[in-house]
Formats: sequence, C-alpha cells, structure tokens
Amino acid sequence: MSETMQPLKTVGHPTPRIDALERVTGKATYTGDVKLPGMLYARVLRSPHPHASIRRIDVSKALALPGVKAVLTHENCAVVWGAGSVAGGIQYNDDVKKICKQRRHAFNNPVRFVGDPVAAVAAVDRHVAEHALQLIAVDYEELPFVLEPEDALKPGAVAIWPEGNLALDPRNETKPIVQKRGDVEEAFRGADHVFEDRYTTAFVHNAQMEPRACVAMWEGEKLTVYTPTGGIANCRHDMARDLGLADENVRVISHYMGGNFGNKNQNQDADLIAAVLAKQAGAPVKLEMSRKEDFIGMHGRWPTVQYYKVGVSNNGTLQAIQLRGYSGMGGYRKNSGSIGGIEVYRCPNIEMVVHPAYTNKTVSGNFRGPEFPQGYYGIQSMMDDVAFKLKMDPVEFILKNMTRKPSEQATYTNYSLDECIHRGAEAFEWKKRWRAQPGSDPGPIKRGAGVSFMAFRSGVGHSSAVLRVDSRGKYRVHVGVTDVGAGAKTTMGLIAAEALGVGLPEVEVVWGDTDTCPYSVGESGSRTTIMTGHAVIEAARDLKKQIAEKGLPKGSEIYTASADPNPRMEEGKARAAFGAHFVEVEVDTELGRARVIKYLAVHDCGRIMNPLTAISQIKGGAIMGIGMALHEDLVYDRRSGIPLTAGYYGARISTHLDAPDIEVLFIESDDGYGPWGAKSIGESGKVPAVAAVANAIFNASGRRMKDLPITRDKIVGAHA
Amino acid sequence: MRKSRSKGKLSRRGFLEATGVAAVAATAVPAIKAQSQVAEAASNVPRTTIRVTVNGKAQRVEVEDRWTLVELLRDHLGLTGTKIGCDRGECGACTVLLNGKPVYSCSNLAVWADGRSVQTVEGLAKGDELDPLQHAFIEHDAPQCGYCTSGQLMSAKALLNDNPRPTPDQVRAAMTGNICRCSNYNRYVEAVLAAAATQSAGGRKVIA
Repeated sequence: MSETMQPLKTVGHPTPRIDALERVTGKATYTGDVKLPGMLYARVLRSPHPHASIRRIDVSKALALPGVKAVLTHENCAVVWGAGSVAGGIQYNDDVKKICKQRRHAFNNPVRFVGDPVAAVAAVDRHVAEHALQLIAVDYEELPFVLEPEDALKPGAVAIWPEGNLALDPRNETKPIVQKRGDVEEAFRGADHVFEDRYTTAFVHNAQMEPRACVAMWEGEKLTVYTPTGGIANCRHDMARDLGLADENVRVISHYMGGNFGNKNQNQDADLIAAVLAKQAGAPVKLEMSRKEDFIGMHGRWPTVQYYKVGVSNNGTLQAIQLRGYSGMGGYRKNSGSIGGIEVYRCPNIEMVVHPAYTNKTVSGNFRGPEFPQGYYGIQSMMDDVAFKLKMDPVEFILKNMTRKPSEQATYTNYSLDECIHRGAEAFEWKKRWRAQPGSDPGPIKRGAGVSFMAFRSGVGHSSAVLRVDSRGKYRVHVGVTDVGAGAKTTMGLIAAEALGVGLPEVEVVWGDTDTCPYSVGESGSRTTIMTGHAVIEAARDLKKQIAEKGLPKGSEIYTASADPNPRMEEGKARAAFGAHFVEVEVDTELGRARVIKYLAVHDCGRIMNPLTAISQIKGGAIMGIGMALHEDLVYDRRSGIPLTAGYYGARISTHLDAPDIEVLFIESDDGYGPWGAKSIGESGKVPAVAAVANAIFNASGRRMKDLPITRDKIVGAHA
Repeated sequence: MRKSRSKGKLSRRGFLEATGVAAVAATAVPAIKAQSQVAEAASNVPRTTIRVTVNGKAQRVEVEDRWTLVELLRDHLGLTGTKIGCDRGECGACTVLLNGKPVYSCSNLAVWADGRSVQTVEGLAKGDELDPLQHAFIEHDAPQCGYCTSGQLMSAKALLNDNPRPTPDQVRAAMTGNICRCSNYNRYVEAVLAAAATQSAGGRKVIA
C-alpha cells in the first residue's frame, strides 16, 4: 500500500456478498427460473451447414402440430440484430446500424455457420416445441465454405459477404486494423538481431454456467424482457432500436445471472427471437438455449494467427516490433477482432496490421479481455524467446523493455509495474524456480518457471446512480448493475455506505431492472466499479448536502439525489492496472502432461473495494487462463465445417482437478480517479495468465509451444 | 440438435436420400423433408404416477415418462434452486441427492425416482438454520455468479455425509463433476474444508 493511501471505514475490508444467502439457498431467481402465467416455451432450429442459401422452408406441419403457437423464419421475421451485426465492433451506435452494409438478421439467408438460426417455434411446452422443430423442412443449397482466417483472405476463397472476407469497418470500408510508430523496416536493418515467428490461438468459449435464456412478455406495446445481461440499459436501448420501440416501452430485468465473461452488454438474438415470438403468439415466451447452442450460436474468443518480427540490440533493448495478424470473426463481425499486447513494450518502432476475416465458423464476440489474452500469449511468448536467444533472464528482459509511459507525450496516473515484478519475483522465488537452461532437469518429468506482465486499460467514464433516504434513515442506492458474478451489488453497497458515512446494513441496493434503476455502463470492460462507483459517490455527496441543509426527511418525505457524471482524464494522463504472473509447471515430456504447481498473481488494481470478492476474481481469471493455455478449443471438422467439441467435456473446460491454488498479492494505490482509486479487476486475472503458463512450459521442457491450446499431443510431438 | 426417430435399420434407399440431398434438390420439383414426419399430439405421451419424497415430504406425482428429474423439480414442483447448465451430464449444476447419493438430475428420468427420496438445495437448511456448508460458502465467497452453487453444495453434502473430515484432494475428487466457470475452485475447496471443521466441532449456525 502506498504511503498516501488512507484506509477507509467500510470499503477495503473483506465483506461477504449481500446476496450470498440467496445464492446458497436456491432462492436467487435467474432468467430460467421465471415462470409467467400462460407462458410458452421456444426452441430454435439452426443451420446444419457452415454455408448455405435457403431455397425454401416449409413450416406447415410444425404450425399444424397441436400446441404450436408461433413459428418464425427469415420469411416472416426481418428483424435486424443491431448489436450482433454492426461492423467494426462498434455497438450501441444507431448511426452505424443505419449505414452498415453487412446486416445480421435474427434469421439469415444465406446461413453462414453451423448454428446460424433458421427458424424458431413457440409451443405449450418444451417437448412440443422440440418436436415442432423436427417438422420444419428446409431446402438448403450448400455453398463452399472456409474455416480459417488466413485461407479466407486468399484469392479464390468463397466470399461470405459480397464485399469479400476482410470485415468492414464502421464506415463500410475494408481495411485491416493498423497501428504504426517510427519506421520498422529501417529499424530492422539497424538491429543487431532480428527474430521472426508465428503463433496461433484457438476459439475458446465463454462457457458461462447459465446458457443464454430469455423470457419476453408484451403488455400492449410495452415489452418486458427477463434476460441474463450485464447491461440492462444497453440491452434495453438495443431492443428498442431493433424492434422500433421507444426506450421507455422496453423493460429489461436481470436480477441474477449465471456468469458473464463478456459479450453480454447488449441485446442478444435470443432476446429478439423471444420478443417476436411472444408478439406473434400473444403470450409470454421463454427461450432457453441448450448448452450446445450456447457453444455454437453465441460468442467466444476469436481465434488468431500472429506473425511477429522483432528487432533487438545486443544488450536486449527492443528496436522494432512488427505484427501481421489474422482474426477469425465467424460469419458476422460482432467485435473488433484486434490483437492486443504490443503496447506493453517500450519500443520506438512498431507496426501492427491485423486482418479481421470472415469465416464459416461460429461468431466471435468479446470474452474477458477481448483481444488481450491471445495477444499477450503471442507477443510475450515471442519476447520470452528473444530473451532466451539473447541468454537473458526473462525478468531482466521485461524490466528493460516494459512500458513506463502510455505514450511519448503522456504519463500514467500511478506506476507500479516495477514493484509488481520485483515483489512477485521475490515472493515466488523466481531465481530458484526458473531454469537458466530450459529443459535441463534430468529425466522425463521436468520443472520450470514462466513470467508475464500487464498494463491494462482502467479508464473513467459515464455512468449514473440514484440515492434515496427516508425518515427512518434507511438509504437506498439504485444502480443499473446486474452483478454478473463479480460482486457489483455488494461493491455498490460498500461504496454508498462509505460515501454516506453509514454502515452497510443501512444501505439497501436496488439493481437489475430498468424500471427502477438509472443507466449504468454495463458489466463489461472492467468498468462498473470505476464508473458506476464514482456515480454513487457523487450521488452520496448530493444527498449528504441535502441532509446537512434540511435535516433527515420527516414523515413520508423521501430525499432523492441522482448523479450522472461523465468524468474525463486530465490531459496527458492515462490510467492502467498493472500486474505480473509467475507460474511454475511440471511437464511430463513422455505423457505430455503439463501441470501448474505454483501460481502467483501480483496486481495493482488501485484500491481494492472488497478484498474477499477481488481475490476470487483474480483466482478465477488465472484458472480460466490456465484452461485456455492447456485445454480449451472448439474444434471444427475441416471437411464438413461442423464443430465437434461444443460442450464442457469436448471443449475441456477446467474442473476442480485442473485448478491449482492461486496466490494473489495486491499492491494497492489511489491515483485520485474512480472511487478512491479503484482500477479494473475483472479482466486482469486472465489477461497475462496464458502467456505465463506457456513460458513456464518452455522453461521446463525446452520446447516453445506456438499453438494454443498446449495439449498433450503437442507436448509429446515436440519431444518426439 | 438432430434427434433420430427412425424405427429399425436405415434402408439403402433411406441412406441414399440422406446423402444425396444436393442431387435430389437439383431436380425440378424439390421434395424437401423434415427430420420427422410424425405429427402426434402431446396428449398421447405416456404418463406414470410415482411416489417420491422430496426434501422430506412424501408426494404422489403424475409425470410424463420422458421428463427428466430436473424437469420435474424445476418445471413442475417449483424447485428452481437446482439449475440446468448443460442438460447432458457434463457440468453438475443439476446435482441432487437421490437416496443420499449425488446424481445429475438432468441425466435421470423422473420415473426412476419412484419410491426414492430426493434432496435438493432447498432442503439443506432446516428452517432458518443454514447447513454448515451454506454458511461456509457465504463466508468464503464460494459462489460468484452462483449458478453452479446448488450443485457444488449437494456434491459437498454427499461427501461430508460419507467422509466428515476430507482432505483437500478428497474434496477436489468428490466435486470434480461440478464445473464452475467463474473458476472459483479454490474457494469451494476452502469452504468445504471449513464446513467440515465446523460440523465436526458441532452444530449449525443460524441465519443472521
């Protein structure tokens, strides 16, 4: 803790969640638990082909089945899914939706991946709905398909969109994502050493425990949607825009949701399909996705191919970094498809050109640090290898080359990367665990250590909060959070209590319903604590002023304070969360098994609001990162374009037996922004994890693993 | 997604039709076929009356033979604390105790519970008195999103019933069929060990 950081009364102490009792007694109501009178059950028919045009759909038999109340196809439902179709990853932007040439509908023709929705049915129960799907006849004209982003951009590849397979940007232009500084070609010519390599990463799925679901109900022109969303306000606006309603005619409710991990701060096609079915059937509709549908029809981390070229001087100082990258977007561009990580190195010459390419795989969305875990894996493996080739300790290489300023002109609001690395290396006993000669342990079972580091966005921005107090001195904080699992309700309660100078039990938190909560930024991008937390403090300041002026309210009086701040960073300043991960692995080079035996995550996430939940976030992120490094993959059959591992077992999601103990060390700071200096946490635990595990495997085995996931067959193959 | 309803073996003709879609479709009159041609009404579905004790309460329920146990619990008995994460025996969110043994209720038919007792998360607390596991789960921040929590609790309950003082490795082994995508595995193990310690020291704790 820095000397300037004063301890607080309520914030900063380990506090069990205010809704923990509901979560351990089965009383927490998730979307699938909602049951409305007269509610119908819906199911979706999905394309079995990776690329096909639909010649004809015959739904007559399905409609004739007793109990079927509505059937939708592209022929009778032309709704454009704005949040799913907008080019360039710019969501929530009505103007972009208007001009966008490549529109994604709720039901598309042609279909562009196995799992693209073709029809939906609402019926009296789930079995009738399922049966009805089987009565729908579809005449497909199968089209050629392409699965890999590099192949998709080759001449002669089938065009998934008329404009070609390089995804359009928000201005409908086909351009790769480009960042340039200095002159890399010149720097390569002058560098003592130039290294080149290729790294690839797999499609990995959010795999949140609660499959996508929605319950939609109409009362006249007013639509109510129960849905697992991290952003009720953004979801509402998207639903209103896509269905041509006024925002105030849409109510979004999300009281509990079973995990987020990204791509849930907007409306989903499930929400639109349920809403249109409910309208057509004249009854509430519940649509629950199966686990398989959730894996193939929703979202996940975009797979990448990363070509690096690095110029370095004899003393290990970076001279130039070049990245040529390819990202697989699936059939629609739902997000940026960028590849992050170069920015954490101090280097005068960089050139990054990333091609987000359409493929006939499932659509990629944002997943916990959208472009970073895969980008960090690529660049930090590359740099670990450069350090090895220069015979440098990777910790020394990092200290020499890591970012110290966000840009030439700007500075960080606080900077603790040195401290993260030094304290981490000491606590982890880096010198003892790291092998100066990789793979040097005798025998087939070898140990080694790896390190990675991060400097990650922690910006401030717009959100809002409302605070009320009644004559009994009972406070209510209204915040548009849903609490995806990170503990936002409790965090907002703690912040309100601290700002008001009362105990947590005096504060009731109202959340998860657009009818009772103001706009909140939405639980994505590790922003809620910073932005909505800041709004809570502003509202508390106003409420305390009212109380100071008038005393507590009397009788049935209620004072209300609302805040809608949109703070900006001071000119020339940027905020970042910093961290370093240290991992020791044991690799059985004969069986190919890699096992994490020690893991230390050091993080400066600013001031910690609630150590209990913050530690859980970091532990969970790191274990997810280990899974991405070692197991997870949505494998496609190359000949048919069919996904083969769509489920927990097939995609090898980590279990209790895969999870090592994660030690977490926080270095706290207060830079004056956000609520008492809070910075981003939610994505922090995962972003550097994959790189650290991969580097540890190299150090243990002496083999650089360049393709994720680092499965047994690859380790055995590398030792063959 | 595909559910075969064909009776008996696939004929040569059926095989050719199934694999020759493109050729058939190219002819003048496309004869398109659905996966099923049988449009039967739901009322024909076989039903059975079973006797089942749920959370200590004996009941007689008429169930459709095709209902899974989790479907009976959630859709028809209103016990929505048990969650469906995958509906195919991979994730453990639907774990309940059937005659004291942990089972995936998505992978058991409701009729199989005939004559047996089922315990769900709703049956863990005795009135206002939380089970030591529930208390430890709260204190140790075991549930993050909470969706896998009921299943984790029931697997842990079965473990502690059999083995009141498990080692950390025994906890991991007993609960490895319960996936937590928030990956709060460390916390779950800590919490179960803490509950085991509390329980063997005697007694339950009251809800605050």
